[in-house]
Amino acid sequence: MAKFNVNSNAYIIIYSVVMVVVVAVLLAVTSLSLQSRQNENMLNEKRQQIVKALGENPETASYADVVAEAVMLDKSGNAISGKSEADIFEALNDLTASFEAGEFPIFKAANGSVVIPVYGAGLWGPVWGYIALEADMNTVKGIVMDHSGETPGLGAEITTDKVQSSFVGKTIFEGNELVSVTMRKGGATNNHEVDAISGGTKTCDGVNEMIKSGLTDYLPYLNANKSNK
Amino acid sequence: MNMKNLTGPLSANNPVIVQILGICSALAVTVKMEPAFVMGLSVIVVTAFANLVMSLLRNGIPSRIRIIVQLVVIAALVILVDQFLKAFVYDVSKQLSVYVGLIITNCIIMGRVEAYALGNKPLDSFLDGIGNGLGYAAILLIVAFFRELFGSGTLFGVQIIPQSWYIAEGGFYSNVGIMLFPPMALIIVGAIIWIHRSFNKDLQEK
Repeated sequence: MAKFNVNSNAYIIIYSVVMVVVVAVLLAVTSLSLQSRQNENMLNEKRQQIVKALGENPETASYADVVAEAVMLDKSGNAISGKSEADIFEALNDLTASFEAGEFPIFKAANGSVVIPVYGAGLWGPVWGYIALEADMNTVKGIVMDHSGETPGLGAEITTDKVQSSFVGKTIFEGNELVSVTMRKGGATNNHEVDAISGGTKTCDGVNEMIKSGLTDYLPYLNANKSNK
Repeated sequence: MNMKNLTGPLSANNPVIVQILGICSALAVTVKMEPAFVMGLSVIVVTAFANLVMSLLRNGIPSRIRIIVQLVVIAALVILVDQFLKAFVYDVSKQLSVYVGLIITNCIIMGRVEAYALGNKPLDSFLDGIGNGLGYAAILLIVAFFRELFGSGTLFGVQIIPQSWYIAEGGFYSNVGIMLFPPMALIIVGAIIWIHRSFNKDLQEK
């Protein structure tokens, strides 16, 4: 048998094509077979974050125990009827598109607290979170924040209990004006500020912007429910 | 079967502190023990199987496109690892975030494939991959141990330094902030290299 030439052009082209097809099939099969599990993980994580934002321990309290209903609001803060819970969680996957379409998901707890999903830009990638407000629509009950690529130990500290618990009890309104809660470099000076993370200034700026713009989007709803009191 | 393949990279031929490869990820994922552990595990899996696959294919690979073939095999393995982490240990996969994808660019993997797997039998290559992965993981864990203990006062997220020692609680201690920054990882790696060479005189440059 003549020695097969592994460096001929024809062989190289066939080799590449076969290799690419084999790898593509392998990756596609893996991705498809693990997808439902991954989606379940993501959905579960969202539920747990909402529970956690409301100040409950996701290990012991389930989403169904804590959240009374999930509602989709329109621009003026009125509920849009005919949206299932699945639709609302679907909207959380792409909040930008949902907000642009004039649809604002909100989660109401039995005791009158609400959870608002927010998103923004950190230093390296997106940041997002859930802010829970007390029934007065002014006091922060809790916040959960997450990110895709902030620096571990610096910007990524926004995911720690230490940072998140510092938001609890802060107020977002000064009189009738929405001032939001900001992370202030140098330390909090009043009830609308919390300490920023040293070394994580850019991430903190992103978080400030995220909370402010998120709350602004929900302002009609907040005002309507605030004045009811 | 050559057991030297497995034990050599742990010390005398360690990829990080002797060959000085894979430093970039050693700086990035060593703030805490847990991500360092999972990163080490992922790299062991990828180096081992990249070596195995490339060694099996070694006689059929056209030498003109061998680097491309290496990249495809490594990238495919890394994506598989990433998919499995997302499906089974979602929390950890989130912590590692971009660094899992960056395993592809880890010089250790391509270095071993190019230097060893292309010229040796599959089983030897597989062991060589595990050995080098272990050597890398060991250094990550040592660096992460010091960075997490002194930077955050915890190990694997469990508080080690007693709360009562902290200044905020009336004690005398506070966490060393610089431990959280990448330069400190480099300094710790440097210190490990120094100590390692003082015990291994044959590694010292003349």
